[in-house]
Amino acid sequence: MKKAIAIILLAFIAVELFVVFYKIPFGADRMNVARFYLENSPKKLGVANAVTAIVVNFRGFDTLGEVTVLFLASTALGSILFRRREIHTRLSHLRTSVEASVIVRIAGRFLVPLIILLGAYVFIHGHLTPGGGFQGGVIIATGFLFLLLAYRKFTIEHRTITFVESLAGITFAGIGLIGIFLGKTFLENFLPAGKLNDLLSGGIIPLIYIAIGFKVAAELTGILDTVLSISIDVKQKEIESQTEKNE
Amino acid sequence: MSNLQILQITFYGAAILLIAIGLYAVVTKRNLIKIVLGLSIMDSGVNLLFITVGYISHKTAPIFSPSVMAKYKTIHAAAQAMVDPVPQALVLTAIVIGFGVTAVALALVVRLYRHHNTTNIDEIRNLKW
Amino acid sequence: MVATNHILVTPIYFIALPLFFAFLLPLLGKIYKSFIRIVPGLMFAYLAWMAVVLLLYVYKTGNPVIVKIAGWAPPIGIDLVFDQFTGFIATVIAILGFLVWMYSYLFKKVEFDNALKYFLLLMLIYAGSIGVVITGDLFNQFVFLEITGISAYALTAFYRGRDGAEAAFKYLLIGSFASTFVLLGILLIYTQLGTLNMADIARNIDKMDPTIKVIAFILLFTGFGIEAEMFPLNGWAPDAYSQSPGPIGAVFASMTSKAGLYALIRLSFTIFDFSSANELLFIMGILTLVFAEGIALRQEKIKRMLAYSSIGQIGLIMIAFSFNTYLGVFAGIFLMLNHALVKSLLFFSASFLAYNSPHKYIKDIQGFARYMPVTALMFGIGVFAIIGFPPFSGFWSKFYLLSAMAEKNFVILIILVLSVSLIELVYYFRVLHKLYFAEPTGEYQPHTPRWNAMLAMVLLALIIIAIGVYPDLVTGFIGKAAHAIMDKTTYINSVFSI
Repeated sequence: MKKAIAIILLAFIAVELFVVFYKIPFGADRMNVARFYLENSPKKLGVANAVTAIVVNFRGFDTLGEVTVLFLASTALGSILFRRREIHTRLSHLRTSVEASVIVRIAGRFLVPLIILLGAYVFIHGHLTPGGGFQGGVIIATGFLFLLLAYRKFTIEHRTITFVESLAGITFAGIGLIGIFLGKTFLENFLPAGKLNDLLSGGIIPLIYIAIGFKVAAELTGILDTVLSISIDVKQKEIESQTEKNE
Repeated sequence: MSNLQILQITFYGAAILLIAIGLYAVVTKRNLIKIVLGLSIMDSGVNLLFITVGYISHKTAPIFSPSVMAKYKTIHAAAQAMVDPVPQALVLTAIVIGFGVTAVALALVVRLYRHHNTTNIDEIRNLKW
Repeated sequence: MVATNHILVTPIYFIALPLFFAFLLPLLGKIYKSFIRIVPGLMFAYLAWMAVVLLLYVYKTGNPVIVKIAGWAPPIGIDLVFDQFTGFIATVIAILGFLVWMYSYLFKKVEFDNALKYFLLLMLIYAGSIGVVITGDLFNQFVFLEITGISAYALTAFYRGRDGAEAAFKYLLIGSFASTFVLLGILLIYTQLGTLNMADIARNIDKMDPTIKVIAFILLFTGFGIEAEMFPLNGWAPDAYSQSPGPIGAVFASMTSKAGLYALIRLSFTIFDFSSANELLFIMGILTLVFAEGIALRQEKIKRMLAYSSIGQIGLIMIAFSFNTYLGVFAGIFLMLNHALVKSLLFFSASFLAYNSPHKYIKDIQGFARYMPVTALMFGIGVFAIIGFPPFSGFWSKFYLLSAMAEKNFVILIILVLSVSLIELVYYFRVLHKLYFAEPTGEYQPHTPRWNAMLAMVLLALIIIAIGVYPDLVTGFIGKAAHAIMDKTTYINSVFSI
């Protein structure tokens, strides 16, 4: 009964939304400020990827907030799952109950450096090709996920993660503040724009994207590590409650 | 019905269907993990909607790569042939925020599981809902 | 109309500095443990000073301070607007941020890790709330709303108790709905106007398709309403208030709900031009008020009671703004100020009263006035101020609210507000009675506040009394703020003149 009401209500909302969105012409050119972004990201900033120009410069303030959300998520995870540290030292050897197969372990030796290299490539070339700091950071974090899953003895030093994440965050906010100290505005480009499609172009944009890349990689790795240690905790608890029941 | 109209119905329909599925999961499911999944699906629907709105027919990705520049010669001509980059930039932000919320939600689910030994929402209600 | 690029005083710092120090704090903590307490305090003090300086500048010259970010003038780039209205609210938040820091200076003194996270989250929730208020860009406002939201979820689940996580999950669930609604609303506006700047949207709102405009408004109103604790989507609020650490109740009341309320007001007053928006605000305000005060009467736990009373106040503020007259808006802003100050004082003192009783029931605190006279006195001042007795600030906010109603000849409303005050009187005096006149059971050993908490409470009480005795201290600022929010054209023109 409850489900039927929910379905009817949702169908109503969905139809309503569809009717509204159907009014919006699909595939039509309705750019307003976007036109300015497209024209000026190569001209004024020397950035080939217009999306990057918007994310890091035109709407760079959003991105600062976005980076903060990630930082917040990793902090919040730490504060919500308060037992992390203790688990980390006590149970890190239990992380994977089964040893990964030899194929995975050998392949990891070849793959992980390549994955990290690809990630670095993606965020260094964020202003030239699709991709950027967030995407590159995620790719690097998958490399670390591989390591965590494949090698039981592999642990991540949380201090290093904190250090990288803080330093990268300070770099981003600091580059923004330099703009103010130079008499310009926050996050304003103060380096020469360079030639379009050169690696060294786009002023501060590649610098910020590299900082974001490091930050995202560190944060996601930290989050993955935390989540993996929870799974041990939960498993441990299940085992405990099982034995209790048996007794 | 033109091709464009078919595309329109497909994309808008798919995105709104995703939102509806997500909402349905959040409203009716009793399992916390499924509720979090529902939130994620809802987010994906909104993101798809953003990208759909940014599409302009017969235009290319907003990147002034050497090949694009060789084809169109001037920046202005190249810019005329590109889709709207703003929704793509907004979606990047929205995805990251969605990720952050999902991570926090899953952490809370783990906390609740630790205390109650269940992920069923009916067995958890200590507070009034 | 001045684009101040002063190096020491610029609205950018309200957001840039908390974020910068939030990233820096883990490293500073490694150097010297106490930095994690001291550095945020210095920052909060600096920002509070800066807010006052900026507000005085805006007040004297009459020119809003508008800064562009990344060197792009709006609507290309994102701008921050510190005008008479946003500046006033930002200043209130900034001063309360400093007081909350002072109150929690010695919080979790022995535990490094938790204290670090607490101060990090406090700085971020502060930056998010001020960001929502001073940003001039709709999508940017959404980002700050999410920062506020996620830090609030984390702070709600901060204590290890069982119910904290549940309250936080509930909050997160409703908060996610809010963000989906807001995103959809922003998307609809973007498809029509191709811009995200609030002033640009306000300027071109007529060009929107009427149906899409209505839907976009409803989506945004619901989304922001959830953050502002509007009925009926405020089920999360009492749980979040009561499960979070003591000072965070004050943060919710004075910062996050104010941010949501600001977004709601900006939406109805500036961005959209519906005359029915005021009616919607009015109906929602009445429902919120009646519902919350009715439930507050039946609460057995002190923090839940305060939370429902807080929601009721939000309803009052919405009613005041919905009149759309100078006097109404004036009363609304005064109520916002009063609510932020008094609710913070109530939460500050009540969390010490509740701290000592294991179940946090009202009946457990009987006779505590003998053990902690100052805290009890502070709670008493808060109670008198929120109900609206002279010579406290609450008197003037209610006085202006009633005169705004009298101006419009809303006799029934006046009766409603007075009877709601009577209900407030009943449930607050029940607590005061227990606190002062009941015999102590002697079961619980009270935990008296430390000097820093005491200082924060006394300062707040002094501010409340000062405003109550001498309301001209703030009426000038509030008058200009009321003019600023009601004058849409000046807002648009000043944003585009930089």
